[in-house]
Amino acid sequence: MSRLDRWFEGLARQSARKVSRRSWLSRFGGVLVGGATLPLLPVARAAEKHAVGEDGVQGPQGDPTRCEYWRHCAIDGFLCSCCGGSHTTCPPGTEMSPVTWIGTCRNPTDGKDYIISYNDCCGRTFCGRCMCNRNEGERPLYHWYRNNDLNWCSGAKAQTYSCSTAIVVKVAKEAQPEK
Amino acid sequence: MVPRAELAVALCFGLVAIARPAGADLPPEEVGRVMRLPETVGEHWIWVPDRLFRHSVLFDGDTGRMLGAIDVGAQISPKIPLWSRGRSEIYNVDTVYSRGHRGERKDYLVIYDSRTLDAKGDIEIPPRSMDTGTGIALVGMLDGDRFVLVLNHSPGTSVSVVDVEQRQLASEIQTQGCAGVFPAGPDRFGMLCGDGTVMTVHLTDDGRLDHLTRSERFFDPVVDPVTEKGVRDGTTWWFVSFEGMLHEIDFSGDTPAPKPAWSSFTESERRDGWRVGGAQHVAYHPGTNRLYSVVHEGGPGSHKDPGREIWVYDLPAKKKIDVFEAPNLMAAFLGPQAGFDASGVTGKVLNFLLPNLGVHSIAVTGDDAPLLFYRHADLGAVGVLDALSGEHLRDIDEAGLSGTLLVVP
Repeated sequence: MSRLDRWFEGLARQSARKVSRRSWLSRFGGVLVGGATLPLLPVARAAEKHAVGEDGVQGPQGDPTRCEYWRHCAIDGFLCSCCGGSHTTCPPGTEMSPVTWIGTCRNPTDGKDYIISYNDCCGRTFCGRCMCNRNEGERPLYHWYRNNDLNWCSGAKAQTYSCSTAIVVKVAKEAQPEK
Repeated sequence: MVPRAELAVALCFGLVAIARPAGADLPPEEVGRVMRLPETVGEHWIWVPDRLFRHSVLFDGDTGRMLGAIDVGAQISPKIPLWSRGRSEIYNVDTVYSRGHRGERKDYLVIYDSRTLDAKGDIEIPPRSMDTGTGIALVGMLDGDRFVLVLNHSPGTSVSVVDVEQRQLASEIQTQGCAGVFPAGPDRFGMLCGDGTVMTVHLTDDGRLDHLTRSERFFDPVVDPVTEKGVRDGTTWWFVSFEGMLHEIDFSGDTPAPKPAWSSFTESERRDGWRVGGAQHVAYHPGTNRLYSVVHEGGPGSHKDPGREIWVYDLPAKKKIDVFEAPNLMAAFLGPQAGFDASGVTGKVLNFLLPNLGVHSIAVTGDDAPLLFYRHADLGAVGVLDALSGEHLRDIDEAGLSGTLLVVP
């Protein structure tokens, strides 16, 4: 894949929170690089995955390869589901860091808030796929366990960062402390 | 600005060209020459660190010309390069592994000659320097250029103090509960703490811990935390909270002294949804006391979102005095990839058609005719504005692929 294609992939993922990927890419993507590029984009690849959802959730919020997946409310990194692992397992050849940051995300199906542990997978360099950054309840560096900017592989044997998981710890007693 | 040496070289080439008869062969040229940086650090130079290329590139903001680069280690984000003018050296903290991305980890403070960019030595430091996606507030150099600070995470926290004069580790100070290093003199630095306070770490003459002091609690780390993206003027640091409250901290005394916070947004702006956000989203120009702040319209949890406007504040007056639009960087990034002139008609059309993704990070030079640099974390281009008028001067293209830092040497 060309550098331009890779860039478009990253751009589309990065924009996912603020604009629908379809909105501007469908309007302008063809103008730039022609229709041939579009099938390579994550929009097209992921479009058919929404029928079956994880955790009983339908649509993008039930798809662990999407930034919109409900557990990803405070994640910052490459999604292990796109990297040879899953949202609860690391890719082959990597190691899961035992220490991590957490988020509190609401499951849209049962309406409950869950504490999510975003354990990093370590020992390979950047996966480079499905970059996702959401910051609901994320806090600055001094608030360690809620900070998603840190390389949490510092708690693993191998400390190079590859991707991040999103593991349910338990039901939360309270929702995010957001204003 | 064109260095005198370059002017002289250009003039010589011009004379040779005039003197050479038409049709004569070009003279043979010497093989093996390597460029040096000018002796004086340019006022409009800017480091652009890149996470994927794993290097930090030095550009001249006046021309957009690349001047050179230093490599960085295998960490997620490069650390900020620290430039000692007095010693003509640059210090960079790198993490490396014995077999590329695996094997034994070692951390070094690498010492570069700032004129040649040759790595002329290194100092091994504890192998636990903190690594983050943004690389902000992880390293710093105290005034006097003798001590370099390195924040550690293992996952407990500490700070390594490196004596670059003696070329050795001076100490490692335990700082549980606090993070970020904010130099505030030759013998002290500040840190933000998880209990809503700020701490001053006082050092002895040889770089060891003298004593720690803590402020009163002045912010709520859960409800409205201040970000670690602070800006400095002497012994004063300003930090901005998620809700846009500006906190001024005076580190000149034994105990850090927060001053009353004030809001960077009016009630009307707040109702309209304006918020601060990005990565390195504030910058400060000491000569004019101007604070530059990247803003966007968003809700809770959008504190890392890029903004399309940069608001300018007069800090002593506690007042917004200007709003700069950050022009689209799309064409500047795409042009070299797709083979079109970003400054031509194609570039203008694309910048009009394609969405402006906004700005994550800004930096302002410290001179009397300052430049304001801006970048989006995933667009390999850097925009350059006149920091006083907001006029768009140029874009620096092919400035990498990914990163959040912009560092004025």
